[in-house]
Formats: sequence, structure tokens, C-alpha cells
Amino acid sequence: MAWFLRIWVIALLGLGLLVVGLNLLVDPYDVFGTPRIQGISLLKPGPRNHVLLAKTYQEARAHPVTVLIGSSSTHFGIDAGGSAWPVSMRGVYNYGIPGGYATSSLSTLREALTAGGVKNAVFFLDFQNFFIPEGPAGGRDDGERRFRALPDGTPNPDRPLQMANDMFLSLATMAASIDSVKTIAGQRDAGLLNLAPNGSSTDADFIDAARADGMHDLFAQKDDFEAARAAGLRRVMAGWRGELPNLDIIRGIIALARAHNVALTLAIAPHHGDALEIYWRMGLWPRLEQLKVELATIVAKQGGEVALWDFMDYSDFNTEPIPAAGDRRTKTNWFWEPTHFKKQLGAIMVQNMFGHVMPGTAQPGTPQSGVPLFGVRLTPENVADRNAQVRAQREARVCGRKDSPLLTSLSTPLPDGCDNPQEPRGPT
Amino acid sequence: MLFNSYTFLFGFLPIVLAGFYVLGARRREWALLWLTAVSLLFYAWWRPINVLLIAPSILINYGLARCLERTGEARPAMARAILVAGIVFNLSFLGYFKYLNFVEGALNDAFGVGFTLTQLILPLGISFITFQKIAFLVDVHGGRVSRYSLADYGLFVLFFPQLIAGPIVHYREMMPQFRAAPCRFDAENVAVGVSLFFFGLAKKLVLADPLSQLVAPIYGQAAAGVPQSITEAWIAALGFTLQIYFDFSGYSDMALGLARFFGIKLPVNFNSPLKATSIIDFWLRWHVSLTRFLTAYIYNPLTLSLTRKRMAQGKPIFGGRNTNFPAFINLLAMPTMLTMLISGIWHGAGYTYILWGLLHGVLLCINHAWRSVRSRIWSNAKQYNRRVAPIGFVLTFVSVVGAMVLFRAPSFSAALMLWKGMIGVYGATLPQAVFSRLGSIAAWLTAIGVRPAWTSGSLLMAATIRIGLLLGIALLMPNTLQMLAAFEPALGVKPAKAPSRLERALAWAPSGTWAVGLACVALAGILSLGELSEFLYWQF
Repeated sequence: MAWFLRIWVIALLGLGLLVVGLNLLVDPYDVFGTPRIQGISLLKPGPRNHVLLAKTYQEARAHPVTVLIGSSSTHFGIDAGGSAWPVSMRGVYNYGIPGGYATSSLSTLREALTAGGVKNAVFFLDFQNFFIPEGPAGGRDDGERRFRALPDGTPNPDRPLQMANDMFLSLATMAASIDSVKTIAGQRDAGLLNLAPNGSSTDADFIDAARADGMHDLFAQKDDFEAARAAGLRRVMAGWRGELPNLDIIRGIIALARAHNVALTLAIAPHHGDALEIYWRMGLWPRLEQLKVELATIVAKQGGEVALWDFMDYSDFNTEPIPAAGDRRTKTNWFWEPTHFKKQLGAIMVQNMFGHVMPGTAQPGTPQSGVPLFGVRLTPENVADRNAQVRAQREARVCGRKDSPLLTSLSTPLPDGCDNPQEPRGPT
Repeated sequence: MLFNSYTFLFGFLPIVLAGFYVLGARRREWALLWLTAVSLLFYAWWRPINVLLIAPSILINYGLARCLERTGEARPAMARAILVAGIVFNLSFLGYFKYLNFVEGALNDAFGVGFTLTQLILPLGISFITFQKIAFLVDVHGGRVSRYSLADYGLFVLFFPQLIAGPIVHYREMMPQFRAAPCRFDAENVAVGVSLFFFGLAKKLVLADPLSQLVAPIYGQAAAGVPQSITEAWIAALGFTLQIYFDFSGYSDMALGLARFFGIKLPVNFNSPLKATSIIDFWLRWHVSLTRFLTAYIYNPLTLSLTRKRMAQGKPIFGGRNTNFPAFINLLAMPTMLTMLISGIWHGAGYTYILWGLLHGVLLCINHAWRSVRSRIWSNAKQYNRRVAPIGFVLTFVSVVGAMVLFRAPSFSAALMLWKGMIGVYGATLPQAVFSRLGSIAAWLTAIGVRPAWTSGSLLMAATIRIGLLLGIALLMPNTLQMLAAFEPALGVKPAKAPSRLERALAWAPSGTWAVGLACVALAGILSLGELSEFLYWQF
């Protein structure tokens, strides 16, 4: 029996060391920054469910010049390493967190700015986040225990313990071990999900879903989800008076950027017309217009190096047709589904916002540039015209058109809403 | 402190074992005192105030037992009064901490009396400890226990491997072992203990806990009034049944293993209950020590008393030649329902637990009724076992799974919604992705009412595979008691006379293969410690 126990102890220790060594080598969540090895850990799918963990450590190592904040649309839609970025802004880190809210964007920006060196910040904001209060700005969740500073700028006392915990969990847990094995096993698959060191993610999950189910099903599923979300937001907004919720978080982000001498760009992230149409028909369009007006006013009042861009319209990009049900071959150009734009559209947005095109070419919108115009820089002076322009776009593309490409996949019919565009009616 | 925590595994346990073996090598009394002291520390770890609650209760029970002993046979009426006082004290103690809020809430609901509900600290393992203390007093009163000191009694109540979630042990089966234990390092005890403990840890963390992510959202939706299709409802029912199965099985193995480190063999508490071929068989396999307690201290005395009364009145009794329906109702159904009502209340202060107990009571009555008539239908026992046992297994399995919905659901309405879902009241759905791959079968499914839904096809597939695998383990594999039978893993467990081929193949042996295999199992458990979770049974 003593022999049995000796063998057991030796085997347990040996296997344990093997597992820890493997996890350190593969570094499935990119916590340690172990050099990526071809055939072993070049692609990292592990952070799929641990994005904040992985990105916080990645960002600290990246020392970015430009930091991108936002939610999943930023995470998937913007390529931090793309050639669309002006040379002066390069060294971009994508700190978009799937499921993130305005509050978490403020927190991640604060974390990125704490180390210094950041010159530019771009916040791709989701308009839905301003239709429901999020609670006090600067609130901390568990993931933020690893941040360098507290909201008031003082060093975070929880950080050392949290970092030790992060490292332990990345080395000696079943989840990390399984993710290490999956990482190695998946390296031969060129379509493996990968979180790049600059925080950008590949689109493997969207590609797989599109290949398996077709683009129509991707849109249809998200349309149903958005319809349910819009119904909830509509209830919140029904009794709302005065300024929209969470705009203090925007003021906080602007103040933070100014305090660190960072050029800030706010961008209302584009949604496909399917999603816009849901919000229009649910009676929330006036609130979206209100958001644009209030944001333009806040930015103008704050002054300094802050720009506000609006990509929420019924342009050709946002109204591209959705392949028919059952069609698993036809792909879309600009959107994966109604709320997630593709990196191609993200690059056009970047080129339009920062006036940069491929070296040696002209400004966006000119035939020479090859970059189409998309989005408008909003100011208090042009915001009313912009709102009117978008309404006109919708009028032309939706109302009275039986061949409208929008909402072909929504399973729950919504009212048309075209009879009175001033006060769209929603279902009661 | 939980068994499945880093603190316990890498801090508490090694120190306790080292202290026990070192002290035991000098004087075994010191080792046993050490064991009592660290058990108290274990108990205090989560909430130190627990000790202030449990210590007076131990002292009072010890005092009552001493009084009982002194009163003895000379003054039976006084002894009986002391026993009743002891039982009332223990039940009041349990009632105050565990049921006061529930009773006040129920009275508020029923009569609007406006009791203010207060947040009481529920002492850890109070239900187990209370039953153990009552059993001790009854045994002292019955003369089955003698020769005990306060230190003995303290160790019996506080012994940490069985302190928070059982098994419910008897003094007479524990103290002789403590008295005979060598209190020194014994390689066989440690090897068997290590094997039992890590099998249990892996069952709990690797098999049981991940099921929570699968079933919790469905129960949550049902509680919010969202109807569940037949697919989701069965995933919820089966998933939770397997979760609590491996959770409790894992805990029971860990308790056996830990006790074995100290040379103590705890009684069997869990013996593959899902393999049961009747609901009576289920209760002989599920939470065995609770069934034993309820049978010995509630069901049997009640039945005996009622039988004597009926005999005195000249009425037929149950089981005799002249058995009739009133005898069945009075002597079996009533005691069974009362016993199972108490079992339900013991499990939790809530309507769903009470209904769960009563439902099992009804099932047991049906089972007993069937037993009493089956011999008239099937005189050939072998033929009966061959033909009817599989049907019995299916009926028992479905009944247990259905009843578990009540055990897990946060309210009766949520349970009802899931039951309706299980029988298809809310229709059947399949993920759109699965539906769109079925070709012509999809049209046939639509015709019989199956609808596509925007649920995840891959999640459904993963859930089905996981549940299938776990059912295979629970129903087909030998359990740890069978695997380690040659080394008496629990009190009284002996090797089967005719083990199956699989049992022989998986019989534990102190070999290099088993050492490496067990190291893999242990490592899987240790690596899963990162996701800390509570035992489902730990606050009963």
C-alpha cells in the first residue's frame, strides 16, 4: 500500500507539473504574454469567454498609441492592425468588450490611460445603452479588480491578489487546461477564432454560423432578440423625461480624455436597417434622434479635441439585402447580423473619420480615393439636418416599397410605421 | 469550509492529518482530542458564531443523556419525560433556526398576521446534527449506549467528515471504532481514503457542477413564468437529477474517504439510487442513513404503536392473513405519509420540499400496495423479477426525475410549469439550426407540432451528450462502494458474491495502474477547484 501511495504522489505531482507547464507554454488566455508558437499557440481561441481578462493583460503589454473602447461591435468590427489607420494613430489596441456597456467603456478607457502613452481614443457607442440607466458611472465589477487604478485614480489595492488569482486560474484549472488542449488541437484550422495581441478578434464564430445556417438565420435570430430588447427599452423610455440616461458617462469619458491630453472620437456604431426598422416601428426613433442632438451638444460644450460621428442611417451600407432563407452560400458585404458590422465596414468608418486612405490616395468620397463616403461628423449645427436626412433615406428605402430588403426575416410582424413618420407607432 | 476548497485540501487537511498521526504516535487520547478540536475549527471556519450556537446544544444534550442514564430503569416515567424534553429541545432548536421564518411566512400568507421575518443564521449541518443528537438520546434511553464521556460525545457530534452533510451516524457504530482506532498512519487506510476522497471530488466538480449552467437558466425561466418546451423541460429535469445525484454521491464518497484517513468507516449513505427498480428500493439506496433514521425513530415506532392498538381492538393488521384496506391505510399509508412529510420538511423550509416529501410518500404507498397484491398476480418470483423489474426501473426513474423538479424548482408554479412542459403541454421545439438540417423530416416534425426555435443547436447537442454520458455512468458503471468492496470502503460493505464482469474489471487494487489512474482523477478534481461551489445537500 505504501508503494501505491508513493506512485500516486509521484504521478500526481508529475502530471500536475506537466499541466502547469503546458498552460504556461500555450498561455490560452494571453495572460503571461508567452511568445506565440507556430503550430502550438499562434492562434488563441481561449479568450472567447474571458475577453476582459485577456485584454487587460494584452493592453498592458501593448503600450498603445490609440485605444478603441466599446462593446462587441468594436471587438469584432474594428481591425486594430488594419491599414485604414493613419500612420500617426497606429499602435492601435482594440479594448472592445463583448457585452460591455457605457460604464465598462469608461472603466476600460481609464485602465488604458493609467499607464500613459495613449494619444487617441475612439469610443464606438451602441445607442441602446443610452435608453436604460446603468447605475453610477465608474462602478466596478469583478473583472475590474485587476485594473491598475480605482476610479479616483488611486492605486487599486485589490490588483495584486487578483493578478495572482488570474495567473493561478490560467495555470492550474481544468478550464485553462481544456482551453490549452483546444488551442493546440485547433492550430491547423485556419478559421480558428483568434484574439490577436492587438485585441482584435477574428470572425470565426460568425463565419461558422453563416456557413452552417446561412446569413438569413443569423439576421432572423438577432432580429427577434432586438425586437424583444426594443420592447423592454420602450417601456423604460415611455416615462422618461429630460436628458437620456448615461450621458454623464460620456461626460466622464470626455473629461478623462481631456485630463490625459488624449484626442477623443465618439462614433455612434452602425446597425443594419433591420435593427433600425425595429426601433423605428417600436416608436424609439425620436429617442435616437434625441441622443444625437444631446451628444452633439455635450461634445460642443466640452470643446477640445473631441469629435462625434454618426453611422446610424439608411445608407447603402446599412440596407444591404439579406440572403434568402435556406441560402447558405450568399454572403453579405457589411454586416454579420443587424447589430454587428464587418471589419470591411469598420475600415471604411475609420477612413472616413480620420481622413486617411491608403498612402498616396485622396480623401474619402472622391473617385480617386476608392473609399465611399459613410457617416457624418455631427455638430449642434448639422444634427437637425442629419436627422431629417436619415428620415428621408428611410422614406425612400422603406415606405411604400414592397421589395424593401428590411425585416424580411423578422418572425414577429411589427406595424409599418410609415403613415406617420413624425410619431411612429409601436405595438401596444 | 468546504471539502472542495483549496483551503481545506491544501491547508486544513494536511495539518489535521499530520497533527493526528504525530499525536497518535504518542497518546491516542491526544489524537482524538485534536480531532475534536479541529472539527470545531472546521465548524467555526465559515461562521465562528456557529460554535456559540452548537456548543451549548452539545452540553445540554450531554447533560440530558447523563440524567437519562442515572434515572435509568428505576424511574421509567422520569426517564421518558427527560427523553421527551430532549427531543423537544432539539426539535425546537432546529425549528427556531430552520423553520421559524417559513412558519411565520406561511401564517402571513394564510392569515395576514403580519409577522416580521428576520434573517436567522442557520447553523451549519443543523438538520444532520439534530437527528444525530436525538438518535443518541433515544439510544441512551433504550440502554443501547453506555460508557461515554463528554469528549467522546463531542467527537461523535462534531467529527468533521460527516458534520455538515451526513451520513447520520449512531453513537454505537462510531465510538467503538474511535476507541479501537490506532490513530497512526496506516497505508491501507490512507490509500483507500485517498481513492474515495478523490473519486468523490471529481464526481462533484467534474460531473455535477457543470450541470448547474445547463439547468439553472431553465428553472429561472420557468420561475419567471416562461413556458418551456418538452426538450428544455426534460433537460432541466434530467440535468438536475444528475446534478444532485453526482453532487451527493461525490460528497458521500469524500466523507467516507476523509473518515478513513482516521481509521473510521462511516455507514453507507449513497448506493446507486438511480438503478433502483422500485421507489422502496430507491429509498434504500438514496440517503440511506436518513432512511434508516426515519424508519427506526419515526416509522417503526408509529407503526408498532398503531398495530398494537388495532390488535387490541381485534381489527386486522397489515401483512396478516386478514389484511384489508383500512389496515393498509392505518398501518402503512398513514405512517408512510407522515414519515415522508417529515423527510420533506427536514430537507428544506419550503412548500416545494414538503410536497416533494408527500409525493414520495404517495409513491411509496403505491409501491407497498402493489407489493401486497403482486404475489396474487405473479406467483413466480423469478419470472416477476425478469419481466416486471425493467418496467419497475422505468417507472421509478421517471417518478424520481419528475419529483426532483419539485426539489429544485423555486416555487410550485415553476415546478408545475416544468411538469406541463415535460408532458408536452407547451409543445416541442428544436433549434432552427437542427431543424433546417433535417430535410424532409422537418416537415413531418412540423406536422406533429414540433416547432423551430432560436435556441442553440450546439448547446442542445452538448446537453444531450452530457446527460447521456452521465446517465451511462450512473446506470451502468459500478459505484465506488462496489469498486473498493474488497477494502470495506463503508461500514459493513463486503464484496459481492457474484460480481459482474465490469465490476471485476474495475475493482480497485493497490496497483501502479490504479495509482496513475487515480492521480489523473485527483488532478481533474484539483484543477476543477477553481470554480468553487457549494454542496446541494450541505445546509439541510
